[in-house]
Amino acid sequence: MTREQILRLYLEDELLVQKGYLKEGEGVDAKWADHRNKKIVEVIKFAIEGVINGDSQTMMTRKINQFLDKD
Amino acid sequence: MCYAGENRFDFTEGMNVIIGDNGYGKSKLYDAFYWAMYDECYDTNEKEWKKTRLIGNSLISDKAVFESSDSLVRASVKLTFKDIAKDCQYIVERILTGQKKGQEFITDTDSVEEITYRQIAGMTGKLITSPDEVDRIKKKVLPDNIRPYMWFQGEQVESIIDFGERDSLTQAINVLSNISRFDEISEVADAWGESASDQYHRKVKSLSTDKDSSDRLEGERNKIVERITLLEKDLRQYKDNLGTAEEETDKLVNKQEEAIQIRELDVRRKGLEQQLTQTVEEEQFERVDLYQKMFSRRWVLKGSADLVKAYNGKFSAYNDIKITKRAEAKARIEAENNIIKKLQTRLPVNVPEPHNVEKMLRLERCLVCNREAEEGSEAWEAIRQLLSEPDNDLQELEKELATNHNFESDFRRLSQHGYAMEQDIHRVDADIKSALRRLNRLDKRRRSLADDVEKVNNDYANLVTESAIDGERAKRLLSELQAKNEFANRFRANLTRAEIELERKQKELEEIDAKLGDLVKGELPAWLEEKKKLLMDFRDLAQSTRERVFDKLVKQLEDEANKHYRQMMQGNLSAQGIIKLMESSKGNYMPRLVDGEGNPLMQLNTGNIILIKLSTIMAIISARQGSRDTDLYTLITDAPMSVFGEDYTIGFCKTVSSVYRQSIIMSKEFYKNETLRRQLLTDSEINLGKVYMITPSIAESERSNRNSLSTNIKALN
Repeated sequence: MTREQILRLYLEDELLVQKGYLKEGEGVDAKWADHRNKKIVEVIKFAIEGVINGDSQTMMTRKINQFLDKD
Repeated sequence: MCYAGENRFDFTEGMNVIIGDNGYGKSKLYDAFYWAMYDECYDTNEKEWKKTRLIGNSLISDKAVFESSDSLVRASVKLTFKDIAKDCQYIVERILTGQKKGQEFITDTDSVEEITYRQIAGMTGKLITSPDEVDRIKKKVLPDNIRPYMWFQGEQVESIIDFGERDSLTQAINVLSNISRFDEISEVADAWGESASDQYHRKVKSLSTDKDSSDRLEGERNKIVERITLLEKDLRQYKDNLGTAEEETDKLVNKQEEAIQIRELDVRRKGLEQQLTQTVEEEQFERVDLYQKMFSRRWVLKGSADLVKAYNGKFSAYNDIKITKRAEAKARIEAENNIIKKLQTRLPVNVPEPHNVEKMLRLERCLVCNREAEEGSEAWEAIRQLLSEPDNDLQELEKELATNHNFESDFRRLSQHGYAMEQDIHRVDADIKSALRRLNRLDKRRRSLADDVEKVNNDYANLVTESAIDGERAKRLLSELQAKNEFANRFRANLTRAEIELERKQKELEEIDAKLGDLVKGELPAWLEEKKKLLMDFRDLAQSTRERVFDKLVKQLEDEANKHYRQMMQGNLSAQGIIKLMESSKGNYMPRLVDGEGNPLMQLNTGNIILIKLSTIMAIISARQGSRDTDLYTLITDAPMSVFGEDYTIGFCKTVSSVYRQSIIMSKEFYKNETLRRQLLTDSEINLGKVYMITPSIAESERSNRNSLSTNIKALN
């Protein structure tokens, strides 16, 4: 299963529409490069890449903090 | 080992079949595959895999040992795997050598493994010596995680997806899907959510207007968080315990019906056997008593009623005659005496004097009238009578009667006994009839009980064979089920209590968070609030997606399993039902057969269970059809159909040939049933590879000496 296929499965989840992150149908057939402006999609990608690359939990947490922290 | 000399099988794509009866070498062939790859053979007696060093001698052909001239014997199995896409071959060979030492034959402790890689086009090859490379090639030929679903024996099917094994199906789903990726992502999401929450609360605390209140609230919060963590841990534990108890209960429930039947049959059998023993004893007693009753109940007198009657008749007649005669004689004498008296014809007593009378009798002449009186004449008798007194005649008569033995009293006693026994004699027939009726009843009862015992014993034996549960195990199983149910109830109660408390604590936590928020001076950084929300939402999303993906896989497996189940059940209506992969309270999935309304069907026989499991195994493979996993690997299975009967054989073959690109099946079904064999060879729905018939060189009954035993291989197509 490719990282794009995994991403698509997350983006197809209704929860993203319910919480207002995506519009209905927006997650279907998404490409890896799509939705760059949506932080939740980027968070998902960080997690997928970290897991596929076999990164440690600490490294993954550091990466997500770098991405989301503004201090 | 029944294979001697060189034996070769060439398999092609499709379903390859090895046909042979029991004891013809099918399992040995299966063992050969396993041994070559894994240095192990399946010990059917001990139901476990054993390494070469434990079974060495049994791997060598007796014929080879017997015929060996140089005392050295070499056994080897060579498997050639072709990778058509890459135009190459991997040859796996395992070799075991042994030597005659006197009368003994001793094999080497370990076998030798040789793996050769060969390019088909260039005819170049190399022996692989690096252990890592050997391991890599073997895993390429058959990865460890799919081996149980690709290479198995019929009798192992139950354990591949064991209803008792908590997460075997979950493991199977993991094997052929990327669900573990989603689990890992969920773990990452949980860690990120927790980290963001901590960061957020640290910030809230740092911005507080009332440090004391904040500290107090934070202290309370920490306690609640601690308690929540503990409760969540407990909850997981309770769920785990409950799940285990429910799965164990489910497993036992599946056997419950059979266990109840076995227990009932066992109780019934024991009861019947007790009744039979009692009846046999009663019957034996009655038979012995029958002889005793000849005397104790006077049965010997049977039929003597007429005799007694006749005797009494005769005795009565005898008495009558005797009385009559006596009366007549008495009357006659009295009459004569009376007449004599009346007529005074008789001289007075002692006139003439007795000596003169005796003289006259002697002289045969009456000296009174001087006439002749010849002895015996009337005159002589008249003279003789003068010697006796007239009343003495009666006494003489009595004396005469008394001179012979008087049987009268004997006759009377006999008669009296006859009368006394008459009642008994009349009762004898009815008594004998009653005793024989009772004996007959006991005999019938004994036969009926013996039939019942035999029937119950047969039912019991069949059920025990079918379910592999004996009487003792059935008892244990039922008490175990009761105990597991009690455990499950206890865990359920614990779970409910923990859930209620957790809900309360989470509410308390929300209230404290709100209070802490109220103490914040100024505004919390928007990015932090956004981060917290994003990562908490991602945590929920990760969980939701994992469940959705897993459910989809389960549904896909379910559909595939049902497709295979229906195909295998083709034409057989004995066990309707739909396979449902049911989730236990702790998230494990188990295959169950349910009715149209989703209610589990409980009374399944071993055949049904095996079919469900085989369908599920095939579903795991076919759900991934077209992928590398299923196209590259070969199904090798020994006697997979032996437990579910010939009705399902063709359906099974069609299913196997549609699911597996290549399969090798060992079967006895096609040996015994020629119609089935013809169908196998001609049915266009079966994608057939090569079919071989194997037969031993010596019949099993004549195998006291295996020194000439080998296996004949005949290609049928």
